[in-house]
Amino acid sequence: MNTETVIDVERLNVSYDDFHAVKDLSFTVRRGELYALLGTNGAGKTSTLEVIEGHRASSSGKVTILGEDPRNRKAVRPRMGIMLQDSGFAADLSAMETLTLIGGLTGRQDHPDRVLDVVGLTTKADTRVSALSGGEKRRLDFATAIYGSPELIFLDEPTTGLDVASRDDLWDAVDRLREDGATIVLTTHYLEEAQQRADRIGLMHEGTFRMQGTVSELTQTLPGTITFHLPENAPQLPLESSLAGNGSLLIETHGLQQDLHTLLSWAQETGTELRDLDAGPTRLDDVFRSIARH
Amino acid sequence: MLTIARSELRQILRNRMVFFSATVIPVGLSLLFIAQRDAFSQVPTGMGFLAGAFMMILISMGLYSTAVTTLAARRQTLFLKRLRSTAVSDPVALAGILGPPALIGIIQVTAVLSVLAALTEAPAEIPLLIVSGLSLVLMMLGLALATAGVTTSPEHAQVTTLPVTMGTSAVAFWIGFTGTEELGMLKRALPGGAATELTINAWNGGTDLVDNLLLLPPTLGWVVIGVLLAKRFFRWEPRH
Repeated sequence: MNTETVIDVERLNVSYDDFHAVKDLSFTVRRGELYALLGTNGAGKTSTLEVIEGHRASSSGKVTILGEDPRNRKAVRPRMGIMLQDSGFAADLSAMETLTLIGGLTGRQDHPDRVLDVVGLTTKADTRVSALSGGEKRRLDFATAIYGSPELIFLDEPTTGLDVASRDDLWDAVDRLREDGATIVLTTHYLEEAQQRADRIGLMHEGTFRMQGTVSELTQTLPGTITFHLPENAPQLPLESSLAGNGSLLIETHGLQQDLHTLLSWAQETGTELRDLDAGPTRLDDVFRSIARH
Repeated sequence: MLTIARSELRQILRNRMVFFSATVIPVGLSLLFIAQRDAFSQVPTGMGFLAGAFMMILISMGLYSTAVTTLAARRQTLFLKRLRSTAVSDPVALAGILGPPALIGIIQVTAVLSVLAALTEAPAEIPLLIVSGLSLVLMMLGLALATAGVTTSPEHAQVTTLPVTMGTSAVAFWIGFTGTEELGMLKRALPGGAATELTINAWNGGTDLVDNLLLLPPTLGWVVIGVLLAKRFFRWEPRH
């Protein structure tokens, strides 16, 4: 991984009248990284993203993108693509006209035909935006972001409204851009996408980071779990357990492999059946929920 | 800027409702007045009155209303935000969006005044007429930016544009029917008042050039007021 910093955020604050949306937020994104900015509703990630993208001024703090002030559009925009959460396209223009217009205004060079092909909209090139489906509009939005293969790409809820095949196509395209060295900043409500693809994750709640790191760094903060049902009159368990909501027993552990081995050995020796046995490390969803509850 | 302007023009031409309200209504109204031109022959300001009235109607309805409606629509659909995610600056984005309505307004004024001139008499001071028209275009663009700041949607624009369209038209007719001998300062200070007087003078002729040039500052003052109000109220994204 390249250590060059592409995004540098220092003590960012964003306020709206009396509401402090972002509080002293600091983080960096390195070249070639896929950084996922996640958070609960109202956590401040949209405000953060808008400042980084140059759409909004910060109340205080310093933000640099590719070594420039993000509001210096002429310097920054030709090097970065933005996939907005809402399309913002003119209804009376066709897909091709839209891509040619927006792509051209970014200051990047590309062939609209090629980009439409990448996002699977070649057959819709002459269709007006008003006649495109929600998923097709998202793909057109993605097309404007990747037009000219920028070195930094912001993907704001990129797969919302896409079917599974379209999601796979989109991530394939992102993978190809990453192979060419692109840096990606992602926000999404699909945590499994972040878990699978992000190099690092920033988890926001109430205007600040509650956790930041790689997926394994985040998930190690909570114990793994083993759940199962025991028959009546089963012998004493070798591990401490508690009752889970559905009547099953729950063992929380920071040594999942060892404790699972202990449990299975005990079951084997005592001839006890462990029904509905399920075991696994903490998932990003669990970390997210633990933050949302506090 | 031309790229944005071309796409805006394309959208106006494809949207029948916008095209109709921006062209057919003001031009139709003007042609109706021309057909009834004999009824205005007794007005003290003569055919200059019709020229001033046409210019005001065409620019307020064809340019100002269309500009406000377009800006509100582009903001509501987040197209303005989309433009700001590109490399173009804010002034260039606005110029690209407002260019086509301004162009349509200028073409309409030229066409209607040409018909009027062909059927009655040619304007006495054409350069002055052009200056008057351009100052009015600038004023309406400034006021359009300001009005767009308090307009939440294209539908809302039908309400928010009424004060300026009705107000400036009323001022034009007031000056046309009564001249500026009485309450001259007040009439010139009102939005569009000085521009209407300048148009009448340019069409009828026989007035002093310096006096006519002194009619420009009030109109340009409204441009400044419009821009200042726009700086205060204009929003690039919908309010949440």
